[in-house]
Amino acid sequence: MKDISNKIREIAQTLFKEKKIDVFLGWEKGALDFQTVPFIARSEADARKLVFDEYSIHNLATLLLKFRDGSEKIGIAAKGCDSRSIVRLLEDKQFARERLHIIGVGCPGMKDPLQAIGMYSGLKKQQGDGNALAAKCYECVQPNPVIYDDLVGSQQPSRLTGERFARVNAMEQMNADERYRFFEDTLSKCIRCYACRQVCPACNCRTCIFDEMKPQWVGRENSPEDNMMYHLVKASHMAGRCVECGECERVCPVNIPLMLLNQKLIKDVNTFFGPYEAGMNYVEGAKPPLSSYSEKDPDDFI
Amino acid sequence: MHKCECEQPLVPVIVEVMDIKDETPDIKSFFVKNPGGNGLPFNVAPGQCAMVSYLPVGESMISCTWQEEQEYLQFAIKRVGLMTDELHQIEVGQKIGLRGPYGNGFPVEACKGKDMLFIAGGIGLAPLRSFIKYCFKHREDYGKIKIIYGSRSYADLCFKDELFELWPQQKDTEVFVTIDNAEEAWKGHVGFVPSYLEELNPSSAGTIAVTCGPPIMINFVLKALEKMGYNDEQVITTLEMRMKCGIGKCGRCNIGSEYICLDGPVFYLAQLRDLPQEY
Amino acid sequence: MKVLSKSKLETALNKLNQSAEVFLPMQKDKESGFYSWKLFNQGQDELMLNALNVYLPPKNVVLPQTERMYSIKQEGQEIKIDKTFEDSSPRVIFGARPCDLKAILCMDDVFLTRGYEDSFYKCRREAITIVANACFQPGPACFCAAMEINPLEPAGADVIICDAGEAYSWEAKTPKGEALTAQITEYLEEKSLSLPAAKPFVQDVKYEGVAEKLKGMFNNHIWERLGESCHNCGICTYVCPSCYCFDIQVKMWGDEGYRFRCWDSCMYEEYSREAGGGNPRGSGIERFRNRFLHKLEFFKERYGTPLCTGCGRCIVACPAGINIVKIIDEIKEAELDA
Ligand code: SF4
Ligand code: SF4
Ligand code: SF4
Ligand code: SF4
Ligand code: SF4
Ligand code: FES
Repeated sequence: MKDISNKIREIAQTLFKEKKIDVFLGWEKGALDFQTVPFIARSEADARKLVFDEYSIHNLATLLLKFRDGSEKIGIAAKGCDSRSIVRLLEDKQFARERLHIIGVGCPGMKDPLQAIGMYSGLKKQQGDGNALAAKCYECVQPNPVIYDDLVGSQQPSRLTGERFARVNAMEQMNADERYRFFEDTLSKCIRCYACRQVCPACNCRTCIFDEMKPQWVGRENSPEDNMMYHLVKASHMAGRCVECGECERVCPVNIPLMLLNQKLIKDVNTFFGPYEAGMNYVEGAKPPLSSYSEKDPDDFI
Repeated sequence: MHKCECEQPLVPVIVEVMDIKDETPDIKSFFVKNPGGNGLPFNVAPGQCAMVSYLPVGESMISCTWQEEQEYLQFAIKRVGLMTDELHQIEVGQKIGLRGPYGNGFPVEACKGKDMLFIAGGIGLAPLRSFIKYCFKHREDYGKIKIIYGSRSYADLCFKDELFELWPQQKDTEVFVTIDNAEEAWKGHVGFVPSYLEELNPSSAGTIAVTCGPPIMINFVLKALEKMGYNDEQVITTLEMRMKCGIGKCGRCNIGSEYICLDGPVFYLAQLRDLPQEY
Repeated sequence: MKVLSKSKLETALNKLNQSAEVFLPMQKDKESGFYSWKLFNQGQDELMLNALNVYLPPKNVVLPQTERMYSIKQEGQEIKIDKTFEDSSPRVIFGARPCDLKAILCMDDVFLTRGYEDSFYKCRREAITIVANACFQPGPACFCAAMEINPLEPAGADVIICDAGEAYSWEAKTPKGEALTAQITEYLEEKSLSLPAAKPFVQDVKYEGVAEKLKGMFNNHIWERLGESCHNCGICTYVCPSCYCFDIQVKMWGDEGYRFRCWDSCMYEEYSREAGGGNPRGSGIERFRNRFLHKLEFFKERYGTPLCTGCGRCIVACPAGINIVKIIDEIKEAELDA
């Protein structure tokens, strides 16, 4: 991984030197060993601080949105899941492809700094031996970048072992009552901080429905009803758009199984409108199934 | 149910809307008093505000444009959002919620003996009007009064009967009105308030200037006043921020360590210089 | 001194539970926070009094995330408020760490001083007794001592307990604390107990002078760099024991409903958005700056103490790795713009 780190740094420095980019989105070391944090480099000198290590888990694609209204040329490092996120943003026309210089990284699997610091600080329960990869990485079907200008690191095999939709299948086995109770229980823990939305690369609406006040679509009470409404609406907005980067579930401070909902929709979109995998390859003008309309669609919309 | 004995500053009292007057196409005056018509729930000093609520929808902090003895409280309210849209639909007799009075109000005492210069734009005349009318009510306590007021168009000028009839007739009072763009029937001044102010160039000697309007107007007015020799202790302005509680608790209306709802909305420029420029 | 043996802890809690709802640090499934003793599942949940601290602070007990304020009933042009929902049922927060206790004192300043007493907060708060758990072994993310807190003898506790291995020392500090003590006096013993020696802090944080220096740093370029990777997700404010900002909203079903308040965060765009659409803190960086200035400068200016109590939770929870300790350091080192 040292090697990857050096290569990213080198390429970024060269890009700055050759004035091919104005900013580079990567990672730098934070205050603690396991804190590798997002970093926006703006000069060749800054680029020297760039690192890539086992904690470079943060999906940088959402940071791109901070630049969507500008004209800067942006360099960005992207693992497999990050690269799918970039495709997602490109499909939504948040950027012109020409503005991006993507360094793709074949991802060997990441550890989760949030778990690590949680255990280090004593605020989170020890989980496993501390050497495990982040939960999301064990379910990763696309560790290799799907879009890039430079490629570093080696081709990685999919790390998913076992049935991809195992959690979803188990949920589908519940009867309606059980399922309702399960979601009521689980979702009532949500503290409605909306971090899952903020970190999501598929959440790129300028004004989010949850911030809209005229009218207010979803109540702001921390109650089972309003919480369920939030998750129902959020999940359905993810249908066909979620690229399975797993960031939402990773950052959630109260461990809401957001990927369960996302995966259910991934499965359904694939079954009913597919075959489809969001953000797997960039074709200019392509749209996710639920963002397009055709006269031949079997059902009326609404 | 537990019966609380405490004061409940966040719980509104119910008042009745006894009259509604169209001021401009998007501003209406609401006159309220206790239901059934007996007096007022509380007194509001010039420049103070109250939380007005159409209860099923929301609350908004509104400057009280005038308290007429124990007869009524008047709020001039512009349609800007959900709650104010709803309020504009109601009819006389509607019960609404009110809590207050909030904020520090204008330093009416400290200004006694001074000449007064009022500068307002758009709905910004509503807060100043409480001070202006207070001056007229205690006319002997104040010196000369000049009022400079502007709006986008003639139709958008508030309180027209006072602007054009009642106030100019007051002793030692001059009223200068301007609109942003020329209109056929308009014979008066055309132009923005700050430039009109510079044109009129009222002397700063013994004068207190009070200004309220859109932030951009206030900015230019403050600059103009500085140029005209007004020092920071001679200039008073009011600030606006999003508000929810009105009593310095909910956090959102802060500028630096001051809460506009509680420590404002009225500030001397000298006080503002000490605060972050976040308004 | 009075001593509560750990073997008698649960019986004592059961006793207290008869006359009040008792909130304790617990691990429930993957979550840890302050939960009611009534919800404690033997065998599944774990009491976390021995742990340094739990992930979610006891803020929820003094300021519930959602709290009904009053009912609204509409009939034609008539509107009635026929109920208000102040709640003064007795509660005990058992085992709050000094940082979390201090956070409650900060909220007391906000809700009970400066001209208005918030009746909802006041009723609830007056019926709360706080048993603080002194800290002898600060954790790696802790820095309360730097934030004007004495972790061994925290101010404002009704009772202070200290963990001495097999037992807790128990010292009532206020009449409320005495009353609580009286309730469980049968489980308390009188004996001497040697308390552990206080361990040094892992992090060396120097807050002195920061509030004063920040006064000249509102427009400093440093904020751009410190805050540019922040998502404005608000986790830091929701897990913070002392962030108290709230929103007031209404819920109606036809002609009936109620007004409630719920937590809010200065990190959100909607928080300071004005009815007309303008926003004095429209950019993420401006909101980021407001959070740290409120914590480290504004609150200190207004109430004489910082609003950060050094619990370290935001450091642990921030997805972008933003670290308030590092920010304090950077502020100390920053050059003032000319
Ligand atoms: S919903 Fe979650 S997993 Fe899907 S793209 Fe968004 S953050 Fe990633
Ligand atoms: S699911 Fe988690 S991250 Fe999302 S709003 Fe709820 S608590 Fe926050
Ligand atoms: S938790 Fe971190 S990323 Fe989220 S708002 Fe706070 S500082 Fe920003
Ligand atoms: S700002 Fe962070 S460290 Fe300070 S009290 Fe809040 S959560 Fe704890
Ligand atoms: S930091 Fe922000 S959310 Fe927290 S109390 Fe201060 S203003 Fe409120
Ligand atoms: S409106 Fe709540 S603090 Fe000012």
